[in-house]
Amino acid sequence: MSAAGTSATGSHEAHSRLADTPRLAVEQASYAYSPTRRQIPTFTLGATSFQARQRELVAILGPNASGKSTLLQLIAGSLAPLSGRVLLDGIEIGSLDARTRAQRIAVVQQHAPLVFPAIAGEFVLQGRHPYGRALHLANEEDVTLAQNALAQVGAEHLADRRMDQLSGGEKQRIILARALAQQPLLLLLDEPTLHLDIGAQVELLERLRRLAEENRYTVIVVTHELALAAEFADQVVLLHRGKCLRVGTPAAVYQRELLEQVFEAPLEIEAGPAGRPRVSLRSRQADIARPDSADNRTRG
Amino acid sequence: MRPLTLRRVLWTCALLAGVLFAVCVAALKLGAVPISVSDLIVSLARVAIGRSDQLPLDYRLIVFDLRLPRIVLGALVGAALSVAGAGYQALLRNPLADPYVLGVSSGSALGAVLALQFAPQIAFATPLGAFVGAILTITGVYYLGRREGQLDSTTLLLAGIISASFLSAIIMFLMTTLASRDLRGMAFWLMGDLSTPLAPNLRWFFLVALVVGIGAIYTTSADLNLLVTGEREAMHLGVDVTRVKLVVYVAASGLTALAVSASGAIGYVGLLVPHAMRFLFGSDYRLLIPASALGGAIAVVLADTLARTIIAPTELPVGAMTAIAGAPLFIFLLRRSMR
Amino acid sequence: MQVTDDLGRTIEVPQPVRRIVSLAPNLTETVFALEAGDRVVGDTSADDFPAAAKSLPHVGDVLAPSLEEIVALHPDLVLATNDLNRRATVEALARMGFAVYVTHPQSIDDVLNSTAQIARLIGAGPRGDAVIAGMRERLDALAKRLSGVPPRRVLFVVWTEPLMSVGKHTFLADALSRAGAQSVVDIADGWPQVSFEYVLKLQPEYLVFAGSLRDANAPPEEQLSKLPGWRDLDAVRDGKIAVVSSAIDRPTPRMVDAIEELARLLHPEVFAPGAAAGGGAALIAPETSTEACLACAR
Repeated sequence: MSAAGTSATGSHEAHSRLADTPRLAVEQASYAYSPTRRQIPTFTLGATSFQARQRELVAILGPNASGKSTLLQLIAGSLAPLSGRVLLDGIEIGSLDARTRAQRIAVVQQHAPLVFPAIAGEFVLQGRHPYGRALHLANEEDVTLAQNALAQVGAEHLADRRMDQLSGGEKQRIILARALAQQPLLLLLDEPTLHLDIGAQVELLERLRRLAEENRYTVIVVTHELALAAEFADQVVLLHRGKCLRVGTPAAVYQRELLEQVFEAPLEIEAGPAGRPRVSLRSRQADIARPDSADNRTRG
Repeated sequence: MRPLTLRRVLWTCALLAGVLFAVCVAALKLGAVPISVSDLIVSLARVAIGRSDQLPLDYRLIVFDLRLPRIVLGALVGAALSVAGAGYQALLRNPLADPYVLGVSSGSALGAVLALQFAPQIAFATPLGAFVGAILTITGVYYLGRREGQLDSTTLLLAGIISASFLSAIIMFLMTTLASRDLRGMAFWLMGDLSTPLAPNLRWFFLVALVVGIGAIYTTSADLNLLVTGEREAMHLGVDVTRVKLVVYVAASGLTALAVSASGAIGYVGLLVPHAMRFLFGSDYRLLIPASALGGAIAVVLADTLARTIIAPTELPVGAMTAIAGAPLFIFLLRRSMR
Repeated sequence: MQVTDDLGRTIEVPQPVRRIVSLAPNLTETVFALEAGDRVVGDTSADDFPAAAKSLPHVGDVLAPSLEEIVALHPDLVLATNDLNRRATVEALARMGFAVYVTHPQSIDDVLNSTAQIARLIGAGPRGDAVIAGMRERLDALAKRLSGVPPRRVLFVVWTEPLMSVGKHTFLADALSRAGAQSVVDIADGWPQVSFEYVLKLQPEYLVFAGSLRDANAPPEEQLSKLPGWRDLDAVRDGKIAVVSSAIDRPTPRMVDAIEELARLLHPEVFAPGAAAGGGAALIAPETSTEACLACAR
């Protein structure tokens, strides 16, 4: 167990960081979901806790159906926890009204195709909605902030283009820009790398890191990409079938047996540069050649 | 980046209002009995200064008792249907939604058939029956279209389509078994018919209800822009999705009920006018709602004028005209938008 | 002059009536029969009798006349019938201050009464009385001839697909009974759609068609034998098909001609000598209207 890992209930390290109160505190938050009112809740997220600071990028990591999206929705405030609470700058997210919440938390989700034509610039301006009144017509400040947001994702040249004419990656940058226009404290992304190739994935994560740093965001990314999380996350929350198994730095969380159990795949973990673990698939050929390896013993 | 400004909204509305005015003047002028524009101006002026008795009886009757009420009714109905259509398209996130997809017109038609059958002598029985039928359908479909306590787009659409089919089947059953000749008028009504003006005491109710309905939807227009990008997305941007969906559902359905009670089910207007306005002015609902209202008024008055004059002296029902003009227009818009 | 029409509406008719607009073919015919045809200033496109009616200015068709055209003709009186015209049309005209008289004949007597009313309204009282007296005389004579003769059970066919006949409380049913016939369809009102099995079970003695339904080229029994199921009717097999002038369906003085003709076809034995031959061929009545004339072609 690495010293950099934190247990679920808090530790001395947390108390010593007085000047740096956690922006986000998830305290024993859990959730149960039932499709109809009468059925027994089928899907649960067990009590989960972690904290995140400004400029930090947290990866909620786990295979499919591990409760990652549920945890994200709890943090976003669109679901109320069954028990426990989620605090943003010390205030319970559930107690905020929708407008204030939208001014502090921005969510980037998997996006369905748009039914009506939309212009990219107008789409980004929608991010200013939580700050407007009545018809929410954009003022100068809104326009400036929207343009800044576009600049921050490198898409100023796309402002007058139609959304349905953009590539997948360009569309995603516009969607991200809309979230940035909200000027949030917390930026949440649900599996943003799903349809991107590796180059675009890396570009996105680098951009997120940069944005977190420049704009002092707390960025939370839900993903199942082990390598990306290892490379870019400051903190990893590992989920498996609704249970939070481990919270900590990538190095602390990426223990081979643990990960193999969670992802049900043969893996190889090595130490990489800057203390970040490097994950790779373990070759089966190598297994057969080493009959008395540790893995064979575990599998027996 | 050119965000929508209040100026642009007002100028667009002014432009459309101008077109509407021109169309209305043409509609007043044209008809089986031609009236020159100068005669028209004189007639209007005479009425305005209270000397209507100096008008030849013909002009007074034709212009003020026949054409003007028809034009006003057509404009109001067109506005109601187009805003309702735009509202439903946002609520259901479906560009093929029209005001009748949720069954309002079928319930209304059933109410009208029953009224015609059981109370044919009472003048306002038909619009009243139609309105009651519409309200009952709106309520029923609302309860069927909920999921986990709030309106769900898919469930709502299904509930509406099924209700519409079911109610239409009942109407067909009634029309074949009730062999009453009074139902002859139903065919006109079902296709949309502006020749029966509203009873005077209903006119103010209609106007107020129209303004309230369009106003209610307009207050949610900024929210609707977000809603069409996705419900979760809108929620995360601070939109009270449950409330907005309810307001739009009630207002759009109410507008449809008003329109159908007054003039039967005029087709294609609620579907096409919003699309035409999007094509011309963009998809922003803050502009789309007033543009659709004015565009719808123009469309119906235009269609009705054509229906009255194309094979004069026989009058086509206005719904037949909107259907004839609507289909090619739809194809044109479809192809343009695909480019 | 204040009168109440067949729908119970009380209307004020300005006197004298110089300009009449008629919205139904039978009403136009009636006015011409009252020798007031020169005062008809507008009729519908469906009006075809007498020939002069066809060249009058048309205000549109029966269901959707142009209200503007009617207004422009400045009628003193507008005639309409509940059977053909829409109530909306009547109410719109009434709202604008026009006197609209609506007929709703449910029996032959109703037809006679409304003809008398209309005659009074337009100041053709004496002529009206004469016409009606003549009709009554002929109908009474017919009734005398047919007294004691059991009525024939008939099916009056309005339309074949779907099969539509005529209900009890209509003037057409009354016309049939005065011609010595009884409709097998026992349904109350209007124009009921009946199922073919129902007719097959009842096996009417005669089928009666109004002239407009036949095809000028083929005799009726040939046409009918082509329709499925009709062959099984005794009436078709025995050729007991009566085709009469469509005037039987139009409440005008000509109606009486059609009733007499039908009586002749159904009860030839009562009209000897000089009656038309019965038997294997379909019985066609000599036409007195200007419609498609099958008998003339033969």
